[in-house]
Amino acid sequence: MLFLQYLTAGIVTGCFLILATIGFSLTRQVEGFLNIAHAELLGIGAFTTWWLNASQGWHILIAGPAAVIFTALVGLVIARTIYDPIRRRGPAVLLITSTGVAFVIGGVIDAMVGTGIRTLDIGLATTYKPFGIRVTDYQIIVVALAAAVSVSLALFLNRTRIGLAIRARAVNPELAASRGIDVRTTSRVTWLLSSGLAGVAGVMLAVIATLTTDLPFHQILQILAVAILAGLGSLYTVIASGLIIGIAMDVSVYWIPAGYRPLVAFSIVIIVLLFRSEGLAGTKAA
Amino acid sequence: MLRTRAKWLRIAAAMLALAVVAAACGNDDDGDGVVAPVEDAAPEATAEAPAPEPADEPAAEAPAPEPADEPAERGEVTIGVLVPLTGELGEFGKIVADAIEFGVGEINAAGGTVCGNIRTVVADTGGDPETGIREATNMIESEGAIAILGPTSGIMVALVDLAKREQVVIMSPYAGTITLNELGGDFVYRTVSSDLGDGAASGLWLSTRGYGSVAFMVQNEESTISPAEVARTEVEEAGIDITDFVVYNPGQPSYQAELTSVLASNPDAIFLAGGQESGVTLIKEAVAGGFDGEWLFTADLAVPEIFDAVGAELINDKAFVEFADADPSLPEFISFEERYSGAGAPFAPNSFDMVTLVALSLEASGQCDGAGINSVIRDVSDGGTAVSTFSEGRDALADGDDINYEGASGPLVFDPSGTVSGAYTIQQAQNGEWVNVEFYPASTFVE
Repeated sequence: MLFLQYLTAGIVTGCFLILATIGFSLTRQVEGFLNIAHAELLGIGAFTTWWLNASQGWHILIAGPAAVIFTALVGLVIARTIYDPIRRRGPAVLLITSTGVAFVIGGVIDAMVGTGIRTLDIGLATTYKPFGIRVTDYQIIVVALAAAVSVSLALFLNRTRIGLAIRARAVNPELAASRGIDVRTTSRVTWLLSSGLAGVAGVMLAVIATLTTDLPFHQILQILAVAILAGLGSLYTVIASGLIIGIAMDVSVYWIPAGYRPLVAFSIVIIVLLFRSEGLAGTKAA
Repeated sequence: MLRTRAKWLRIAAAMLALAVVAAACGNDDDGDGVVAPVEDAAPEATAEAPAPEPADEPAAEAPAPEPADEPAERGEVTIGVLVPLTGELGEFGKIVADAIEFGVGEINAAGGTVCGNIRTVVADTGGDPETGIREATNMIESEGAIAILGPTSGIMVALVDLAKREQVVIMSPYAGTITLNELGGDFVYRTVSSDLGDGAASGLWLSTRGYGSVAFMVQNEESTISPAEVARTEVEEAGIDITDFVVYNPGQPSYQAELTSVLASNPDAIFLAGGQESGVTLIKEAVAGGFDGEWLFTADLAVPEIFDAVGAELINDKAFVEFADADPSLPEFISFEERYSGAGAPFAPNSFDMVTLVALSLEASGQCDGAGINSVIRDVSDGGTAVSTFSEGRDALADGDDINYEGASGPLVFDPSGTVSGAYTIQQAQNGEWVNVEFYPASTFVE
């Protein structure tokens, strides 16, 4: 039973990692670089939720979606004003720039939010015990959101015209452009989507965690681990790798001290890369 | 005791990401001389650039760099106040800075030191050692600071070499790290006891509370693990069952995995040695998970904000917090409390004592630099005529007496590592505020 409890915690951790990483991976596939500032976009989502909910008195069901929309717009503005002008300089320059963007966003959040800890004005989680396994309503929401986001994104990318255009651009940007796909539009929709997904993860971070201005960036190593493990292939592998890392980290606590959770995550990444250097997905395909 | 969280994560993430990209793209044009160590880079930068003018200096003053080893202005002596004003420990940094300013105000109102009035320069470390080193270097090189007061544990450790090299005294009112037990004592002092003392006080409380079982949740940092180990030994020796000793990493959205075994064991109490971010999440998740026992927190959670963050109803009457504290029965503390409205805040007396000790050391040595302070600081705090304010001490010194500064936080006798023995308070959460329920004077722990 204790093992199943660890497994449950791991599934929830994995689902949070999916939420945090899926937008990051979308950017990586379509825009072609690792957006280190993605973690700070979680911070924008989280602290916007906190400000609307705890300071302005908005209900979390209104504050949350508003924070997601705001984060998506901020992400788009950053992309258009900072990343677009230097896109031709290549992924390494974009990555380094995104690290600078992360510092700027972090600094702005620091200046606006101030010191100490922040929590939402929401009730304590309610715990249920189906089959003797302890699970809270907030954990259920994380899992449900991860599932909903994954299914929605899959439907969007596979069933809509713009989604297919994004996939085409991810596979071969030059060919996509030559076949008449509007690169600008696909780029903007990608940024709105990926930043909005960061906003969703940020809202859940605010719901389940205690916020400090450092906390969002603390998630970047695990986001990188999931993204690297997933590889450049389908976004479905992000779901798989998020669950693998989440479950492995939390279930490992059953046998080894909890302080080694990050070690477990990166050990898995290293082991997988030793056998599949392209990650779980193998080759690049949207 | 208060600890800092290093912001290495950003750098590590960037380096990891760079490595990934380099590997993936096959780029071989990375620069190889990345960034010079801060200690080395900062002095060069400050030597080339005009020194920033303190806000209160006349505008006509030339913007040339001040000599490194002289006060910033004739007739003044500069002390750096290096505290976390932002970040998780920002609330504590403000308490320390305010108490130091109060002490400076008293000293200057009494006519200042033999070296002139004390001028403070304040810098925010954000809890980051790298920032701490940069700001401390700037204080010494550009502002002519002869002492730096207020760093937290990680920053104190990071500044040890700089303090000894530049012969500048560094002193902390809350850095309990046991690393200073080895490194402190020469230019490095603290007006608070080592974390091991916190562990002993926590262990004593847990051992005498009548618990049958206790679980330990300990943040993965030296400053929390060391005292927790001491407390664990005491609890074990008392024959109390320790159900779990979980060392967890902070910065997680959730700590459900870490709590799984603890909640399954359902101990009578949980000893939570952690920061505010992890602590609040852990408390909420444990209570939501059905934990109904008592808590003992460490000093980081000894702030009123915890009640808003956790929800006072969850911890009222069930939560206790342990921290190094002044003895409220001491006449020196009572006098301090009468003069300063913020005296009751954590580490405020210890902060006031730091600046008073520095000022008295300047008087006693007659030497307006860190070496002068370092040469007599032990003498002014041990043996001789008891004094409790700067003016009393200065008058006694003028009369040719040896003085013994009895601080607002306690007797302040430095051991070889520059650490004082401490007293500890246990407070209980009652109606949304912390209320004193137990006090362990320093003599409690003397064998």
